Amino acid sequence: MALVGPRPPSAGSPTVAVHRGVKGSQRAQVGWGGPATHRYYPFVLAAGLVAVAVLLVAHVSIGTAGIPLERVLDVLTGRQVDQVTYTIVYELRLPRALVAVLAGAMLALAGALLQSVTRNPLAEPDLTGASTGGVLFAVLWLSRDMIGWNVAPPNVTVPAVAMVGSILSGGVVYLLGGGGGNTDAARLVLAGVMVSAIMRALTSLVLLINQNAISGILLWIVGSLNGRTWVHWDTVWPWALITIPAGLACAGVANALHLGDDIATALGLRTGWARALLLFIAILLTAGAVSVVGALGFIGLIAPHLTRRVVGSDARRLFPLSALTGACILLLADILARSLTRVVDLPVGAVMALLGAPFLMYLLRRESR
Amino acid sequence: MAMRVHATDIPPERHSNQHVYRWHAGLMVRALLLGFCLLLALGVLMLVGLMLGTPQLRLPDLFNIAQGNGDRVATIVVSQLRLPRVVLGALAGGMLALAGVLMQDCMRNPLAGPELLGVSNGASLVMALVVIFNLPVPWDLYPVAALAGGVLAGGLVLFAMRTMADPIRLVLTGVSVGALLYACIIAVISLGDQNSVALLYLYLLGSLANRTWDYVNLVWPWALVCVPCALAMARPLNLLQLGDDVAEGLGLHVVRWRLLIVTLSAALVAAVVAACGPVGYVALVSPHIVRRIVRTSDARQVLPVAMFTGSVLLVGADLIAKNLFDPLELPVGVWTTVIGGPLLLLLLRRQLSRREEVR
Repeated sequence: MALVGPRPPSAGSPTVAVHRGVKGSQRAQVGWGGPATHRYYPFVLAAGLVAVAVLLVAHVSIGTAGIPLERVLDVLTGRQVDQVTYTIVYELRLPRALVAVLAGAMLALAGALLQSVTRNPLAEPDLTGASTGGVLFAVLWLSRDMIGWNVAPPNVTVPAVAMVGSILSGGVVYLLGGGGGNTDAARLVLAGVMVSAIMRALTSLVLLINQNAISGILLWIVGSLNGRTWVHWDTVWPWALITIPAGLACAGVANALHLGDDIATALGLRTGWARALLLFIAILLTAGAVSVVGALGFIGLIAPHLTRRVVGSDARRLFPLSALTGACILLLADILARSLTRVVDLPVGAVMALLGAPFLMYLLRRESR
Repeated sequence: MAMRVHATDIPPERHSNQHVYRWHAGLMVRALLLGFCLLLALGVLMLVGLMLGTPQLRLPDLFNIAQGNGDRVATIVVSQLRLPRVVLGALAGGMLALAGVLMQDCMRNPLAGPELLGVSNGASLVMALVVIFNLPVPWDLYPVAALAGGVLAGGLVLFAMRTMADPIRLVLTGVSVGALLYACIIAVISLGDQNSVALLYLYLLGSLANRTWDYVNLVWPWALVCVPCALAMARPLNLLQLGDDVAEGLGLHVVRWRLLIVTLSAALVAAVVAACGPVGYVALVSPHIVRRIVRTSDARQVLPVAMFTGSVLLVGADLIAKNLFDPLELPVGVWTTVIGGPLLLLLLRRQLSRREEVR
């Protein structure tokens, strides 16, 4: 089985019993960034949280109208500031940054879950079909003036519609992947690819028929954080509050799946149902993220992989830190996208693709060894 | 076991539970009969393609036109618009299906195809760059540019594959490279102006609309060279199906032949992409359909039959695309994807889950 990074304990590998009761020096032999960092894990996690907070403040303060840090902190702590600063910080930038944090975390977690399901480091949230399905529904909804429905400019209903679409299309993939106890990695991957291809074709079709809305639609296809307000935040946070803890709680199951079907079965795990569970939560996570930012790629691929390099592949450590890494990456990419606005107007999804390209090359290179 | 073994070179008793294939007269007759039926179907579909549309024509009208004494408008419509379209459809379908057989057999992977190998996306990206930025590429060389992009992207995916025969790995690698290229395509598109964007999007879906003789002239030289070459690859393909070790043992230079075959299939795809865009899933699905029908994976039979099947499928799909929602015309690529995707899933369902059990 091809797995990247420090190999997780697998059948026949001598490292199966490494988790408890082995001295640090021995752990260190497993590979750098492997279980040797167990002792420091709380610090790593705290550092991740701090990084997210710092990037959040930086994201709010950097922009076309630069706002000094102390002013930002003033707004965040509720002190009195002038109206313009307040509007820029509180109404425009803060919701965008918060949405970025949650979306990044959810996508990264979904990616980590799917990599456990398929036991392959190249899996990403696109495979659930949820992202392309969400985009299709959002695009259809945005184009409803084609059939005579008026579209009110501040389109507050789009996230909800996108979420419905994501869940529907994710459900199709779930069923085609075997469903329930029969969930099978090979069939799931194929189903995900097929459903995504079909959704993408249909999206292009809508685009073709409704060429006036092309710029707005492209933003959904590639993923963007432009103009995200408290409406989007309100859609995504209750969802995240349920799905992120659910995803984190699956770490034990994911660990068992990593051991391979035979060992997992011997441990008393029903592997089909375990995969179904992880897939189900990954679909929900992706749906939540896609409903507010569109089909943003590569975070689900990059974040878990970077994290695996640091803390090893034990899901109990990997999942929480992956979520934090995802949030950091999306914040960084968005800061970059906004600073580039003066040169070329790129949505954050395009920036992610540019960042993702070299990373993917590196990953493929590692894989080919 | 999912691996399809064609057993001419292996004593049959060792594979008593598998369908043993031997080249004898009965099968030859069956293959010929099948080829004849497909040819007939293709002819009928092409005729129907010439008749349907506005103005609607009947067979006698077509005869009149063929003899040069039909209605003038109808003559122009048929000879300048409809005929090149069906001819291009037949050519493209056959070439795509051949490419599919070549890829699947030489990698022993049921999911190998230009869509999942990133070849289509790579070729499309190059075409998008050419169209949006008005790069000075002469019209005749469009397929060459597409070929370069397709070979680069396909090479990248193949380079990342450690074992050619693991379908999941192939799909995941291909999909991540494909997603990357897709994002690049979208980024390029969003830099373009409205008009070229709409034009390009129509093209990126894969379409046979408004294809004149110019496009046919673009494709046929490639077909003339590549199709006979592809048909001649039956022996190395049969050997490669047995596995690398056996093929090497039987005197085949595996790496060299595999490279040659993949390049050949990329060339087939590139010519099609340059003229019609990446028409999805014809290449992936038709070989599987054909293997079901001829009940063997012997490339000597699969290659020619798949070629005709691909033509039939694409011409048929184009008929639907053109006439179902008349006057609104949907790009044929949408139809092939929407029909071909689920069909592939259906065809491979058992095969994939059996693989998993073996593992």
